[in-house]
Amino acid sequence: MTNWRKFLRDRWRYFDAALALAVIIGSLVYIYDLLVGNRGLDVAYITRNYPLYLHAVFNVYATTIAFVVGMALGFSVGWLRTARTVSVAKFAASMRVEKRERQEAPSGSEVTRRLLVVLSLLWYGTKYVVRRIGDGFVEIIRGTPLYVQILFASSFFIVFLPQYASEGILIGIIALAINTGGYQAEIFRAGLQTVHSGQVEAARAIGFSRLKAMRYVILPQALRLIIPPLTNEYIGLFKASTLLFVLGVQGEISYIAQHEGFAGDVFEIFAIVTVIFLAITVTLSFVVQALERRFRIPGLGIEQVKLPRGVRLARVGG
Amino acid sequence: MIRVEDIQKHFGALHVLRGITFDVQKAEAIVIIGPSGSGKSTLLRCINLLVEPDSGKVFIDGVHVNRHGIRHEWVRQQVGMVFQSFNLFTHLTAIENVTLGLTRVKGIPHDQAIEKARKLLARVGLAAKENAYPAELSGGQQQRVAIARALAMDPKAMLFDEPTSALDPEYIREVLDVMAALAREGMTMIVVTHEMGFASNVASRILFMDAGKIIEEGTAEDIFQNPKEDRTRSFVSKILR
Amino acid sequence: METAAAFPLRAPPKLVTRLTIVHLVEMILGGILMVFVVLPSIFRFSLVSASFWQIYGRFYVTGLFGTFFYVALTLPLSVVLGFLMGWARVSRIRVFSWPASLYVNVFRGLPPLILVIFASLFGTNLVPQPIMDRFLSGFRRGDIAVGLAAIAIAMHSSAYQAEIFRAGFQSVPKGQQEAAQALGLRPWQGMMHVILPQTFRLSLPPLGNEFAVLIKDTSILAAISGTELVAKSRDLLGILPASGFPIVWIFAVWTVVALTYFVLTYSVTRGLRLLERKFHTPGLESISL
Repeated sequence: MTNWRKFLRDRWRYFDAALALAVIIGSLVYIYDLLVGNRGLDVAYITRNYPLYLHAVFNVYATTIAFVVGMALGFSVGWLRTARTVSVAKFAASMRVEKRERQEAPSGSEVTRRLLVVLSLLWYGTKYVVRRIGDGFVEIIRGTPLYVQILFASSFFIVFLPQYASEGILIGIIALAINTGGYQAEIFRAGLQTVHSGQVEAARAIGFSRLKAMRYVILPQALRLIIPPLTNEYIGLFKASTLLFVLGVQGEISYIAQHEGFAGDVFEIFAIVTVIFLAITVTLSFVVQALERRFRIPGLGIEQVKLPRGVRLARVGG
Repeated sequence: MIRVEDIQKHFGALHVLRGITFDVQKAEAIVIIGPSGSGKSTLLRCINLLVEPDSGKVFIDGVHVNRHGIRHEWVRQQVGMVFQSFNLFTHLTAIENVTLGLTRVKGIPHDQAIEKARKLLARVGLAAKENAYPAELSGGQQQRVAIARALAMDPKAMLFDEPTSALDPEYIREVLDVMAALAREGMTMIVVTHEMGFASNVASRILFMDAGKIIEEGTAEDIFQNPKEDRTRSFVSKILR
Repeated sequence: METAAAFPLRAPPKLVTRLTIVHLVEMILGGILMVFVVLPSIFRFSLVSASFWQIYGRFYVTGLFGTFFYVALTLPLSVVLGFLMGWARVSRIRVFSWPASLYVNVFRGLPPLILVIFASLFGTNLVPQPIMDRFLSGFRRGDIAVGLAAIAIAMHSSAYQAEIFRAGFQSVPKGQQEAAQALGLRPWQGMMHVILPQTFRLSLPPLGNEFAVLIKDTSILAAISGTELVAKSRDLLGILPASGFPIVWIFAVWTVVALTYFVLTYSVTRGLRLLERKFHTPGLESISL
């Protein structure tokens, strides 16, 4: 093996890193040159447009409110969707068994028996309908674009509640909350269902009630499992909140629209927006990683929460 | 058949192999024993160049293989390898696992490859399982498919890297039987294993390795009954209860 | 050899229910109930009104074709880009992995809306002049802007697909490549015949989800007046009152749009799921992200 070959092999790591940095910096400079060129970056413009930072903060605020409201909605729907529904055939079979037992050893009157049948029919029927409504809600939210949902919401306000139609923020937060509720429902359901049923049994075996088992055994495990996907959902919602410009809500986009009309050659403003968004989303995704480490328990794998189709921020991986 | 001369290997600051030299004659079966971390697996990987030694020479059938100008793929066709964790290709059935190397490396036509693969699967006692995916086979069956896969390349020698240590006890027997039959048929083998029964019945020689060196070498009786070195003695006493 | 987990977990539940006949019938019945009974009785419109379709039909068809066009443009592009970037990210060679990782983080961190507006305003500056002159000179400036915006959406999606492919690559055990090499396969042959088939199978279902998201994301092109479903439907709203329809007929339009997107995304994810089942191999269960 010749000398330079060995030299190259031993030092490859450094060459490689240097080359990678050169490629990155080179392409960034190239893009910058294409976009800005000889004109030069207008620093004064950037400093003059400080309201953009405030608008970014406003986006965080709207996102947070919508997220919290959506969380309540999502938890309820997610919990509903873990309900076990009984198929009609099974229900009929159990009724037959019950009837036979009654005939063999009659107890109570015929009226109470009938009442019991009707009540249980109502109970299981309600459960079925409620669960299917929950399913339908989640499917609709996940199957249609947020853009259409926002337009739908704004139309709704214009037609039925015209007195609030100019409250873009209110409409936007409602639309975002309903949207994120649909996505969070899936996260909560996945979290609740992934906790081993043996854990409930063990808890009941040492004398916990059903509610206490939920409080002290299921939830602590489920929460650990869903905190990272929930944070990812927050990042996604934050990104999605830019769509509220449709409603004329204050934010970077509507600011640009008002002041520059989308026509000006305002590269600088996009540079600021890009930096703001990257700063917030990248920071948050570091938070996700930190949370995953913080809450990790050996054997309780976060990766084991399987999230189904289109959970928006199941997209944001590690 | 296989000759290893003064092999050194570092992984970063870790000095894994500290000058290993030994010879394997044709049709010989060598067993390597030693505590974990002593460099046994690395040694095997150095022989078929899955790991390239820092210095030293490896000869296979008289050819110096770890020098410039010898293709690694050629070397690996000369020596088959069986892994501790089977490493069967998960997306292929048993027979496809065996034929992959035949068609893609040796360029044998598909139907001839199938024919050969059937024979080999029959030889390891798995003729009925040719269309099963690895996940549908028991550990012992997977390891036997892996042996058939390695044999398909008509290797001059076989390397076994702890082939039974990932198996449940009830499956160890069937794999060892296949290996013993191979040895009887005159295959040159280097086996890293802690199966003492196999070592004493099949091995022509046993090497004891510790801390990247060969400490002692001899027949099964030499090593197990009257080891000369202290380290060998303490290790043997541990594995023989 | 299974290491005992301290907290045993139930096998992850099959959250995506099997596509049984019962389920499909339930779904279709529920949809019909919703679209033809519940919504019309709340909002007082009817989706079977001929006069409505007479004015909406033309907008709908143009918009639908527009959406199909943008999906056909962005989907293949995003898969190719995503696959290359995912591959580059797992590479040990930093010249590939570092730029790829920057690409993924930047495009994942920015909202598609920002990317779309940015691309439509500045995209033409980034296209080399010779390409501009030779291939794009026949197009109107506005069309080029929307096309570039669509490419920006494809790039946004490709960043997510890169993560999917990366997870696919990483969940193929290292021993597979080692075993391929031990057989005498060359590294590229091992990649071709051993690693890639497994990666694709592992990535299929999450890819289906991502395709659905991509289809939904093309609606953002309406923000810069691309010719697609949402934009065309919004155009219609302006002339709806003039044609003698009460204002609540807005909701008829939105219902049709939502239903269309739902059918599109649903059939894509289900289609990929069927494909996955066709290629299903025991022991190769799909990754979850």
